[in-house]
Amino acid sequence: MKTPLLVILIILIFAWYLSFLATRLDRLHHRVETSWANLDGLLQRRAAIALEIARSDFADPASTLLLTSAAYQAREATVQDRSGAESALSGALALLLIDGQTHASSSERTLLDELSALTAKIRIAISIHTDSVSSTQAVRKRVAIRLFRLAGTAPLPVTYEFETDAL
Amino acid sequence: MLTKKLRIGIVCPYGWDTPGGVQNHIRDLAEFLIAAGHSVSVLAPAIDESTLPDYVVSAGKPISIPYNGAVARVLFGPIAFSRVKHWISQGGFDLLHLHEPAIPSISLLACWAAEGPMVGTFHAAAKHQKVIYAIGPILEPAIEKLSARIAVSEAARLTLTNHLETDAVVIPNGIYATRYANGTQQEKWSGNTIGFIGRFEEPRKGLQVLIDALPIIARFAPDVKVFVAGPGDPEDVIKEIDPQLRKRFEFLGRISEQDKADFMASVAIYVAPNTGGESFGIILAEALAGGACAVASDIPAFDSLLGGGEYGALFESENSTELAKVIIDLLRDDAKRGQLAQAGKAHAQMFDWEVVAKQIFSIYEMALVGGEGVTLVSDSRTWNRFLNRDEGKR
Repeated sequence: MKTPLLVILIILIFAWYLSFLATRLDRLHHRVETSWANLDGLLQRRAAIALEIARSDFADPASTLLLTSAAYQAREATVQDRSGAESALSGALALLLIDGQTHASSSERTLLDELSALTAKIRIAISIHTDSVSSTQAVRKRVAIRLFRLAGTAPLPVTYEFETDAL
Repeated sequence: MLTKKLRIGIVCPYGWDTPGGVQNHIRDLAEFLIAAGHSVSVLAPAIDESTLPDYVVSAGKPISIPYNGAVARVLFGPIAFSRVKHWISQGGFDLLHLHEPAIPSISLLACWAAEGPMVGTFHAAAKHQKVIYAIGPILEPAIEKLSARIAVSEAARLTLTNHLETDAVVIPNGIYATRYANGTQQEKWSGNTIGFIGRFEEPRKGLQVLIDALPIIARFAPDVKVFVAGPGDPEDVIKEIDPQLRKRFEFLGRISEQDKADFMASVAIYVAPNTGGESFGIILAEALAGGACAVASDIPAFDSLLGGGEYGALFESENSTELAKVIIDLLRDDAKRGQLAQAGKAHAQMFDWEVVAKQIFSIYEMALVGGEGVTLVSDSRTWNRFLNRDEGKR
């Protein structure tokens, strides 16, 4: 007459396991949100600095045009266009920085230093973000999670193209 | 740099009053953060609670267990777990910094118990890879809670990427480079001298490799002397040394920080013959900062620390003949020695706390985005969430 008890016990353990998985997944989603918020904030700051550089005397008119349009696009891009816009901004900044090493006055120097400090931070933020995305993706592949729809309506997090190529 | 003053909780897995690289790193980091105006609490196991600095909270007495090829003095168990929970709930921390959260210790317990901004630092490079495969799935749910991970070396990072499938930012261990930069040359340690600092009784520190190399070195440099500093009982080691060579060894015991600086400035060559189990090599970095010409075994951590031989000479690990050859070459070539020492000293500035702490700060900043502070995981919340989800479906 132990069988019903055993069945209840197994169901309870299984339910506990599911709730454990759900909490885990929820935490991972939260981590992705946080790491993206961090990266997004840094990218916005980069766009702002790019605009400042574009307005400084250091940039020639052609560079100004390129930087300004790239920075505006990065700022106003929709989710779909974001990756391309950030890559374009990276490219535009890289072009300018090659010259920046040689001719720059002291005030522009501080702008460029700020940019390179920010770039280092963005690299770290990207690695943190891709890491959180890939662990979330790995957990979401689990059979139990897909079968019981533990992810609910949360979209599957993805990494953007621009994150794979270094800035 | 952060402008806001934070409440930071740091968890040290190993006994606070036993000497070790991780403990030193945490002590220096905590003191650096406190000096910068943050409020810091370190939770650590401790044997003698009366000697702890005021920022350290004891979690109980550590126990010795064999782990990863060495004896680790760590702490876990239900009582420790409740102390960890108490410390987290009372601390009101903005951020937790857990050291070595992948070993059975209070760091792992804290990682289980807490929720919120957490940063983990991985120090060790695992030796037994199969074990890591076996424990990986158990660790995964805890490790994935960390908002950001730091590895102290490329070797430690590889262990993470290969076995726990997670990436980490490499930030080296910190040293107070300036403390070692201004040592004065002491007559008693100068000349054809070789220095060694470490717990020489432990085989993995490799003193034996140096002892085996000495007969060959002595043939070419008859006046060579070896100074061994570090805690331990030299009796047993001396017994093993060839009686004719015993006079060349001098055991100094533990030396002060000031003496260490003088030591590094005086000895002709500093040797780190470690055979493994090292993931960064803090004393080697200090030797570089002190302006010593360093010779080290080519284990991965040292190879990367010395830039593949650019900032100090390397020899094949456990090969005393090659060690002897490298040392003899350097003792004969003053110019080469000076040049290596100079390159090493410049390189060591990279590990200065001013630089390293800034990098750690920027990781803190990233972990703090959306930060609502560190809280305990409450089990009831898990159930509420699950029940709410069911309601939502209906």
